[in-house]
Amino acid sequence: MTASHELKFESPSFTKRLKGMLGVDFYRLFHTPMFYIFLAIAAIIPAMVLSMTGMPGPNGEVTEPLFTNTWQIIAADTPLYVVSDIGEYANMNMVFIFGGIMVSIFIGHDYKSGYVKQLFTTHAKKQDYMMSKTLVSAFSMACMCVTYIIGGVAAGILSGTSFDVNVGSLICAIIGKMIMSLGWASLYTFLNIIFRRYFGVSIVSCFFFGTGILIIGAAAIFGNSSILNIFLYGSSVYACLSGNILTLLMCIVCSVAWTIIYNVIGTIVLYKSDVY
Amino acid sequence: MNAIEIKNLTKNFGSKQALKGLNMTVPIGAIYGFIGENGSGKSTTEKIICGLIHPNGGTVKLYGRNHTDADVRAKIGVLIEAPGCFQNYSVWNNMMLQAANLGIRDPEKAVVNALKTVRMEGAATNKYKNCSLGMKQRIGIAMALLGGPTLLVLDEPINGLDADGMRIMREVLVEITQKYHCTVVISSHILGELEKIATHYGIVRGGKMIKEMTAAELEAGCRTYVALKTRDMSRTKALLSCKYSRVEEDESGYIRVYDAKEPEEIVTHLYENGILISEIKTAKIGLEEYYIDLMNEKGGR
Repeated sequence: MTASHELKFESPSFTKRLKGMLGVDFYRLFHTPMFYIFLAIAAIIPAMVLSMTGMPGPNGEVTEPLFTNTWQIIAADTPLYVVSDIGEYANMNMVFIFGGIMVSIFIGHDYKSGYVKQLFTTHAKKQDYMMSKTLVSAFSMACMCVTYIIGGVAAGILSGTSFDVNVGSLICAIIGKMIMSLGWASLYTFLNIIFRRYFGVSIVSCFFFGTGILIIGAAAIFGNSSILNIFLYGSSVYACLSGNILTLLMCIVCSVAWTIIYNVIGTIVLYKSDVY
Repeated sequence: MNAIEIKNLTKNFGSKQALKGLNMTVPIGAIYGFIGENGSGKSTTEKIICGLIHPNGGTVKLYGRNHTDADVRAKIGVLIEAPGCFQNYSVWNNMMLQAANLGIRDPEKAVVNALKTVRMEGAATNKYKNCSLGMKQRIGIAMALLGGPTLLVLDEPINGLDADGMRIMREVLVEITQKYHCTVVISSHILGELEKIATHYGIVRGGKMIKEMTAAELEAGCRTYVALKTRDMSRTKALLSCKYSRVEEDESGYIRVYDAKEPEEIVTHLYENGILISEIKTAKIGLEEYYIDLMNEKGGR
């Protein structure tokens, strides 16, 4: 039995494959309410933190405001690897914690719906999947950073908090943190690949790593060392209001390096494991 | 060259050996009915063909190429278990997303054509989650058809469908092979339906292929039997059982005699014993009975 028509096999190009996959992932991102909910959360959190600090205590006593400058809600004045007060923790790094949860839900849905199976039975390659998820997740976290800034600035204006800042350092800090989105996105994509069959574990692990608790713990033991900048949390903290172009460079190097590492390992894991 | 050529395929899940050196050959253009009990290794084989799981040993060639090659994978359409659709999206959007993934140049035209082929053009705006099981299966096939596949692998596509759903699915599958020049591998437990469309069969048991044959070979290999009814069925059965080795009463109330050379022989024998036949016919066993016979021959059922 033979087919009457000629069989043609063409290998789709990398660009074509990635373009298709990115198109689908961005479509899904923009058409899921979850994305907008997380954008809103990112905007509300700095507004709440900024407006609530310095509020009178339960007996009307005057308290010292945690932030004397609006931009402190975006980044710390200096790199603080060891956190002695939970308030010091409250800056744009929080986006990376919530971003992890969002990425978990996004990738978890791929497996739950069977979309991954549909994808991997065709020409899609595992590295395309890793790259596409990383890029879309990084974009969504960068968007969260933007709404976080908008929320913080709006709250600063409403509460009359000072806006005095070295503009160059501020820009380096903001761009540095947004660039770190890429590194964090690759970590979360990797974690979700590892725990793909256990949705709850994926969320918890993303939250755990997102808090930077391991780096904070290491800093508590070894001190406030700049060597911690080689880690995602370290570089995210390093992007502060006293930063400069070197800070930005550090963020780029760290973010790209971890993205490559996590993508390579994630791709190997995907290639070695079965898809159910 | 065959569409699928599998040699010595093995797969272990922990200590359980799901495939024990399975061999399989699917000619180009065939509708290959893949039959076996639950846990016999059908789905595992199909998932390996589709690249979802990795074999521990053996080779899988699709159109003479390694089954993991991207160029050959681009020409495979798959429906394993359920289509990978997003519940809250419409049928149309789900199809368009798949078309985008495949990098189809004119996605709208391709989606319309695929939906038409599976008789689903009227349900394009329905949300996927609101579709019936039969509709979802057809959507799955439509998705598998996007990109113009040369090989379709369908895992239990007719299970759970009502009679009308099965008829539509049957028509769709036959049309696909003609319109798309597709080779189709279809696993199912509903052998009666499979028999109506399959051109080739593969029967798998315990992780091994125990028989591969064409529909013509099945036809030739299926034994004929004589089915009859009398007024005294229990005496008839007892009488025939003394003379013939396999006499059974079927679900329709006929007594079946499998090893009679000629029906006249039975008529004479019963007449001589004072039994008058009210109905008699000769027929061939179907795929289902052939399968049961084969399983009994191989023992363990």
